[in-house]
Amino acid sequence: MRAGVRLESLGVEFMLDRHSRPLTPMLARLRRRGTTAWGLRDVSLTFEPGESVALIGPSGSGKTTLLRVIAGVLPVDAGRLEISGQIGCLLSTDAGLMPTLTGRENAALLAVLGGLSRSRARDQLDPIGARSGLGPGFERQASSLSAGMKARLGIAAAWETGPQILLLDEVHEALDQEFREQIFSWARELTARGGIVIAAGQDLPLLGRMCRRGVLLRSGEVQADRPFKEAEGVYVRGD
Amino acid sequence: MAVAHAQREAPAASATRGPRRAVDVLLALTVADLRGRYGRGSARLFKWLFDPFAVVGVYLFLVTLILNRPGEAPGLSIACAVVAFQIVVTSIVSSMDSIRQRASIILNMGFRRELIPLSSTLTESTAFSSSVVLLGLMMAIYGLAPTVAILWFPLVVAVNLLFAAAIAYPLTLIGLWYEDMRLFVVSLARAMFFLAPSLVPLSQLSGQIADWIKLNPLTGLFEGYRDALLYGQAPAAWELLYPLAFSIVLLAVFVPIFRREQRHFAKLV
Repeated sequence: MRAGVRLESLGVEFMLDRHSRPLTPMLARLRRRGTTAWGLRDVSLTFEPGESVALIGPSGSGKTTLLRVIAGVLPVDAGRLEISGQIGCLLSTDAGLMPTLTGRENAALLAVLGGLSRSRARDQLDPIGARSGLGPGFERQASSLSAGMKARLGIAAAWETGPQILLLDEVHEALDQEFREQIFSWARELTARGGIVIAAGQDLPLLGRMCRRGVLLRSGEVQADRPFKEAEGVYVRGD
Repeated sequence: MAVAHAQREAPAASATRGPRRAVDVLLALTVADLRGRYGRGSARLFKWLFDPFAVVGVYLFLVTLILNRPGEAPGLSIACAVVAFQIVVTSIVSSMDSIRQRASIILNMGFRRELIPLSSTLTESTAFSSSVVLLGLMMAIYGLAPTVAILWFPLVVAVNLLFAAAIAYPLTLIGLWYEDMRLFVVSLARAMFFLAPSLVPLSQLSGQIADWIKLNPLTGLFEGYRDALLYGQAPAAWELLYPLAFSIVLLAVFVPIFRREQRHFAKLV
């Protein structure tokens, strides 16, 4: 396995209209354009095989935007992004689950969107259910699941797609202690195989256990890229 | 910061690529949508099966009793228009909500969002299949045996579905850009239904009105169904070619726009 992520002067731009509503390029032609805000600006980073990296920084600093652009959820508006390897991600608070579907139905959808064929996804449903540890909750509608149960299901579905790059955004913080330990174990297993784990959040002790490297973001720019403890120190001291 | 470039290498061996991958994603989105919309509870299934019957019943009552215009097999004539319109309007309603309905997956992972309008149409096509029962029932009620012209029926349905899919692309974007336009667009679609030979066939209209009404792409579709099922004749070329050309133009204009816009959906939902 040779996973890799390389960002060169990467930028993500948010166009806003005069009422500060976000715009797409076509919508910007139809509505009067107000301002432009850069969610990420001039970000250059390289994530090597076997690395576990924590993205830290205050709210609005660009952590989620960075994860989303790596996941292909947001476009690269400037600079360059190179990715090698299958991505598994958990980037939204509802873990990508559709509320009207059951856990099993959501798992089937997430597995296909995550890269599996439909037949392969069907074969993986029971392993996903077992890995999530939801028990009968796997057959319930997602709207009735707690945030922690949704995160369990989302991570289990992402894991079964065989990711080489795992992206986690805060949702893992909703997990109970038992499942956190499970995540640590999976993260270690993935990095030992040459995969990459990139996790963002505000729970610094949790991130510190999972990641060796820390990238501190502020206002969409990289302020520090060091071993986790050092980056954490810069963040906490507010240098 | 002028150059924007993203490069992604082939994913793991477990993943599939290309057209087969697109079909897998399209079917997964559609199955999820069907389960969410129609899959649970007998009440939803009942609505799905009997919605077209209810609509035809109302219009049949209106035409035969209130307007007193019996015509030739009025129930089947109206059913031909209602069934054709049903797939178009449900596709419109479904597509206008489709991006926000799927916000959770759009914000969570990258996939080909240009499949979403197709998925909306495919979902509603499944619902549309129940409408076909209505057409058969109406033919039986009026004692109309199928003629060789029924061989045109699959082609008329295909053009109808293509039209529904083509209109789903611009309306998915409009639904995302202008959330509050939904009711207006549905009202506009209903107006287009009545500005076509829906309650009375084209043969009962004359002069300039008939010529103007032919500009509505729904007219060709309605008449195409009637030709294949009611009049037992091949549809006139314009009845299929005009809505077909209209659909192709819509797709040619809006699919490229949609492809450019879809990369930015996560910024709006």
